[in-house]
Amino acid sequence: MRIGLPRALLYHKYHMLWTTFLEECGFTTVVSPPTNRGILERGVSLAVDESCLPMKVLLGHIEALAGRCDAVFVPRQEAFERGEHLCVKFMGAYDIVRNTIPELRLITYDVNADHGVDERRSMIAMARSLGVPARVARRAYVLAEAAQHAHEVELARLQQSVADSPRSDDVRILVVGHSYNLADELIGAPILGYLRTLGAEVVTSDEVDKALARRTGAGMSPTMKWRYNKELLGSVELYRDMVDGIVFVVTFPCGPDSLMAELCARRVTGIPMTTLVLDELAGEAGTRTRLESFVDILRERRRRGHVRAVGA
Amino acid sequence: MSERLVTFPHMGEYWIAFETLVLELGATPLVPPRMTKHTLEVGARHSPEFVCVPFKYNLGNFIEALDAGASVIGQAGGGCRFGYYAEVQEAILRDLGYEFEMVNLTSSWSVGEFIADFKRIAPGVSTLRIARAFAIAYRKAKALEAVDDRVRKNVGFESERGAHDRVVGRFHRELRAAGAFRDVARLEERTLAELAALPLAKPERPLRVGVVGELYILMEPFANHSIERRLAEHGVEVHRFVTLTKLIEHGIRHRPHVRALLGEADPWVKYHLGADGTESVAMTWKLMQEGFDGMAHLKPFGCMPEVSAMSVLQRISREHTFPVLFVSYDAQTAETGIRTRIEAFADMLVMRARGRNSA
Repeated sequence: MRIGLPRALLYHKYHMLWTTFLEECGFTTVVSPPTNRGILERGVSLAVDESCLPMKVLLGHIEALAGRCDAVFVPRQEAFERGEHLCVKFMGAYDIVRNTIPELRLITYDVNADHGVDERRSMIAMARSLGVPARVARRAYVLAEAAQHAHEVELARLQQSVADSPRSDDVRILVVGHSYNLADELIGAPILGYLRTLGAEVVTSDEVDKALARRTGAGMSPTMKWRYNKELLGSVELYRDMVDGIVFVVTFPCGPDSLMAELCARRVTGIPMTTLVLDELAGEAGTRTRLESFVDILRERRRRGHVRAVGA
Repeated sequence: MSERLVTFPHMGEYWIAFETLVLELGATPLVPPRMTKHTLEVGARHSPEFVCVPFKYNLGNFIEALDAGASVIGQAGGGCRFGYYAEVQEAILRDLGYEFEMVNLTSSWSVGEFIADFKRIAPGVSTLRIARAFAIAYRKAKALEAVDDRVRKNVGFESERGAHDRVVGRFHRELRAAGAFRDVARLEERTLAELAALPLAKPERPLRVGVVGELYILMEPFANHSIERRLAEHGVEVHRFVTLTKLIEHGIRHRPHVRALLGEADPWVKYHLGADGTESVAMTWKLMQEGFDGMAHLKPFGCMPEVSAMSVLQRISREHTFPVLFVSYDAQTAETGIRTRIEAFADMLVMRARGRNSA
């Protein structure tokens, strides 16, 4: 059986877990190609107009998998830990896809710590419903979880390497955004690429010790319940003294980010920040101009900082 | 120390219950000024650009109330962005230079936390007094809802224009002054009797429309441009199921409530969509089967739980040719646009009903 994985939303975070698990269970996995204009346009036409950009991207990827696999994998996640939440689009993703493209066969698993539905049992139950023996599914989960863990340790190590590395003469910028935006070929990749073209050193909110970032984020904003926004907020605090400026990459009209960026701008001072709001109509020229002027501002600040340091 | 003046956001006529709650706790309420265009303007000016519009209305209420002298703000929250309103609004208001105390009533859904929050609103208040204050405010909210429900169903058919509003206007004034449970109960009973006595020109089988969607837009006529009333004026019996007291009951009994909703939303939705999304689907499906003529689905622009619900509602509407009017509200929504769409929707319902009757 071939299972299709849309290269969207949490695929960018959990692809190690998912592909390892499905393959160890004996399935063949097919991943949709990196987002391109065609995929986005299909997603835009399938989605409810007011859906956020990542949801439109997801629907485009789902359609790109139709006919290329026997079933498409769309998990449903509400909470990984008690009292903590994901954005409601992750709660709705499975049912949105099911009602938007009814003829497609989907497979899913649910994670909801608030109701005692955990990832391990849920994934194993999904595999068993597809005829995988319990022993094989349990073993697949152990291997998948280990692969995912190793992947996350590697991301945390990247953060440490930023902290340890000597500063170059040019500016270093932290780009803060959800992994499904930053890792997307059409959304985040052009921004990261362009900043590098301008000569800036780029680090992202993804390269961080996630558990530490969540604890840090929770300390900065006690009532924020979204798991991934805690990570983003925490990354700002963990990196702020190592970078010259911060770029928020927000997709329109992201609910959690609209409030988090606001709070961040008010609570974190003393470092230049800018917010790029992207939608399916965003032109690259406008984004580039804004990034150029932001980098110019950071360079100017840095130059003045040097002058002050020499004068002192 | 200057007097503690406690304020809260507006939502429909619930201010009568909120005012009672604060009073009965032994504190002094400051009802925010009535909603005007200024409320939204000042709220929007200081809000993140694309935050959902209830945030902007709430912030506008707070600014106007603080300018009038309020020193304590009570805010609630829900299972979406609403749960994060209080903290961000507090940060914005502090940056604007206001001094006040913010009490976030739904930072957790536990009785102990509720009591602690109420004690912050009125320091030194006994737990017994909190229970009584909550109970009387809750009873007043119930009375508001019972009267409101009757009006929605009948106001479109009143023989004498303005008759319902006259009764309701007096009801609101007297409800505000009512001090004891039995006074509220009697007032509710009398008002419902007065409404029942009003002459109606109502057909045996009137058009029936259910209104579902996001809670704040549903319950704040200023924000939804009085859509329920506009629908009623076109000869529609309007039904709505989301009310403040139901939200509180569902919040306390969240899991069984969600389970029941998922049963009603079957086979369209397998998992809870968050906030009121599942309820929008469940009610639409249920009312369609009960023979309602159509639904109105209301939400703030970009409200994710309701956008999720929309993908399901659009499918139900398409596969069962069941009329659903989708309305999204933001700070720029114009009254005329809403009026035109309601008119067209109501005309379509009338034509469908005629076609059905002649067939």
